Amino acid sequence: MALLDRVAARDEAALKALYDLTSGKLYGLAVRVVAHRDWAEDVLQESYLTIWRVAADYRAALSPPMAWMGLIVRSRALDCLRRRTADRSTVTQELDDTLAETLEGDAANPMDTTQASQQAWALHQCLSRLENRQREVVSLAYLRDLSHSELAEQLRLPLGTIKTWIRRGLDQLRTCMARFA
Amino acid sequence: MNLTQHPQLLDQLAASYALGTLRGRARNRFEAMAREQAPVRAAALIWQARLGSMAELQHTAQPAPAVWMRIDNLLHAEKESKAMQAARAAPAPSASGLSAPSPGGWLGSLLLWRGATALGVAATVAALVVGVNMREQLGQQITERMGSQIATLRAQLQATPQIEYVAVLSDDKSAASILVTFDAKNRKLVLQRVGGYTEAGDKSLQLWALPPAGGPRSLGVLGSDKVLNFAAAEGDVREVPTLAISLEPKGGVPSAGGPTGPVLFKGALIQKLL
Repeated sequence: MALLDRVAARDEAALKALYDLTSGKLYGLAVRVVAHRDWAEDVLQESYLTIWRVAADYRAALSPPMAWMGLIVRSRALDCLRRRTADRSTVTQELDDTLAETLEGDAANPMDTTQASQQAWALHQCLSRLENRQREVVSLAYLRDLSHSELAEQLRLPLGTIKTWIRRGLDQLRTCMARFA
Repeated sequence: MNLTQHPQLLDQLAASYALGTLRGRARNRFEAMAREQAPVRAAALIWQARLGSMAELQHTAQPAPAVWMRIDNLLHAEKESKAMQAARAAPAPSASGLSAPSPGGWLGSLLLWRGATALGVAATVAALVVGVNMREQLGQQITERMGSQIATLRAQLQATPQIEYVAVLSDDKSAASILVTFDAKNRKLVLQRVGGYTEAGDKSLQLWALPPAGGPRSLGVLGSDKVLNFAAAEGDVREVPTLAISLEPKGGVPSAGGPTGPVLFKGALIQKLL
């Protein structure tokens, strides 16, 4: 994306254009990770400032631009979660409720193909073949960087169940992704 | 174990490594193998890239418009403080001005002029801050034996660092209009009108803090005096990147809401160690 090159060259108009183009997607990601709209807005703010500072380090050959920016947002969001959990223990309770909602949700994984990379398209295809709960547990493990036992605790499910869902989900994902390799 | 001879196990481990569910000693062992064996490293990278695109698969949601304003404000604050630093680091303008034409030509001289202006502003600010501190410490004595006192006082001030905040609020043509300093000792904001601006009789100027999170906070309404004092705690200015002044109805915004009129002057708030 030429916009990132212009951002790297300290073009403020390009940052604004990039923001208009990508903030919806990245905000959605931040909300998914931190589960609070106002925290997600802080995360989004920090992320674009980070993008502004490190855009010069972006190498198009190594990852698609949305994936690169997604990584920045995810790591800022995880920082935010760690800070907040250190602040208060009530946080996990609030998270639990939103987690329960996502698990019950029957909606297929969302996909906006206009900006997605080929890699994302393949992952989308493979994820959508999983059962809902497997897909959700695998997604949450990745997005929120949770271990088996943290997932079990937050979802109030037996550890064995979580391990099984993750293992089956990952196995299917591996078989499926191998076809796109 | 040589993982490369067990491609399926390698793929399995790499996938759970990238997912983050491979933890503890198993994770350490996998990382150790990845350092030594290129195929293991490659498998881990492939899975990190695959799962990395999960970031692209989330629902779109619209953030509040204030988020962009905050980003924009912070960018400007950053730029201005960088310009100030660059100006301080630059050689004295008179010396450079006399040398042969710089290789940068017109652009170079423009930067030089900007630098020179910023340097001048910095000097004014420094002078004012020193002045404020001097007055409170010296009182009446200031008229007598000023020269030697300044030197000792400067040394004293430097020996006891005190946090100060300064901001030069400029209009849309970058002309300095209001100088703001925060006096931590007496807990007050001192405002000095330095431009020629005078508001109409039925209007008032109002000073706002623009914190990185949340909406603008009113710091006070300006009277017509050349120099004004507002009571303020350090919490009011700490970590506030930008101050702004808006044109409001006489007496300021009535409710607790944000500014209603146009922003006339704004500038970065800079923390100084004296």
